[in-house]
Amino acid sequence: MSDASRHSSTHLGDTSPTSPTSSDHLHDLLRRVTRRDRRAFAQLYAATSAKLYGTVLRILKERGRADDVVQEAYVTIWQKAAQFDAARASPIAWMVAIARHAAIDELRRQPRAPHEPEEALAHTPADEPSAREHLEHEQDAKRLHACLEALEAERRDMVRLAYLDGWSRADLATHFEQPVNTVKTWLHRALKQLKGCLAP
Amino acid sequence: MTDHDDIDMLAAEYVLGTLDAEERAEVAQRRQHDADMEARILAWEARLAPLGNEVEAIAPGPDLLERIERRIDELEATFQTKSKSEDDTHGATQVIALRRRLGFWRGCTGLATAAALILAVVMIAPFDDTPDAPPFVAVFQQDDQQPAFMLSVDLDSRRLNVRPVTAKPLPDRSYQLWIKADALGPKPRSVGVLNDDLSLPADALSDYDSELLKRATFGISIEPPGGSPTGQPTGSAIHGYLYPTDRDAVSQHL
Repeated sequence: MSDASRHSSTHLGDTSPTSPTSSDHLHDLLRRVTRRDRRAFAQLYAATSAKLYGTVLRILKERGRADDVVQEAYVTIWQKAAQFDAARASPIAWMVAIARHAAIDELRRQPRAPHEPEEALAHTPADEPSAREHLEHEQDAKRLHACLEALEAERRDMVRLAYLDGWSRADLATHFEQPVNTVKTWLHRALKQLKGCLAP
Repeated sequence: MTDHDDIDMLAAEYVLGTLDAEERAEVAQRRQHDADMEARILAWEARLAPLGNEVEAIAPGPDLLERIERRIDELEATFQTKSKSEDDTHGATQVIALRRRLGFWRGCTGLATAAALILAVVMIAPFDDTPDAPPFVAVFQQDDQQPAFMLSVDLDSRRLNVRPVTAKPLPDRSYQLWIKADALGPKPRSVGVLNDDLSLPADALSDYDSELLKRATFGISIEPPGGSPTGQPTGSAIHGYLYPTDRDAVSQHL
């Protein structure tokens, strides 16, 4: 990864208003984008594209498809910036969600070649992500990781492979050698357990 | 399992990404009008978002921003989104929107040389719907130099005023004003050929309703005497800047 891309992805969780990728700054850029400010849009892109691209590429694995989906995501961001609600999400989380959903939609429309599960699992580090790549406030991240740790190992892997790598129920069923309905049941249990664990 | 559980699990799996294409499409549509579903989806997004911290940031290729901006240009040219602009960027925003539309006109005139022709594009769309919104004045420029024409339109009365600034009557040539709007199809329509004194009847737009005019763009081209022989602009050259003005200033022109 180049220094430039690394730079653009840092401090996503930093709340300092002076940081180029702080939540306040991104929110300000989004507000300007609602007024069709193209310079603000370019700045928003510079500050967030590496994170969105990384998210999408991890799901789709191919740069060509990732380019198309990230393009679609930024066009959506341009069009829907006015719908961003700071009370309900951080700017980067809102943007990543748009890109992730676009990537998963694309993957469901046209599934990629069979997975190489070992590689995918190797992708999901058990160790703490580096502090400077935090999307969310550190506390939220710690809580989620603690709750994930409380899940049975296989269910934890399922949640990670689905969320981060875009695996479908069928993909999970194949890999974990379980019927699809069992996978669905496990996923629901895992999700409910996470919800309960994260509840205030 | 209760219905609430079902809905919450549907939202959760939507966010997790494990639904199939059909189920995803249903949820994506439902969230548009179902506030409960939308709230559940956002709650799940918030719960799971920290997982994204694990994703390695990867810079996209250097051309992607340009691709995205081109795509936005295409969309904006054919679909003008009205936005509520509330501050002093108002005028600037409209100039940007206007510039964006220039490419659209270039594409549809199929003209040979830019230099031959003055065609400026005007967008009359005020970006708000307040009744006191001032009419807008468009400035048609030639070769990025001095304004050639100014056009003002009062949306309430649908009266227009074209006024030459530096443009002069041309021997053996006529100026022609065109209107273009999605509702009128892909091609510009003639509003009229300018008189010898470079004026047009103020009621030349009275056939168009104000909603259409708000979304329309305008251009002026140089044509053979009496107007374009083809019913379409036969020349182009395009630089336009749009200036909001207040009602008093415009009434002087009218």
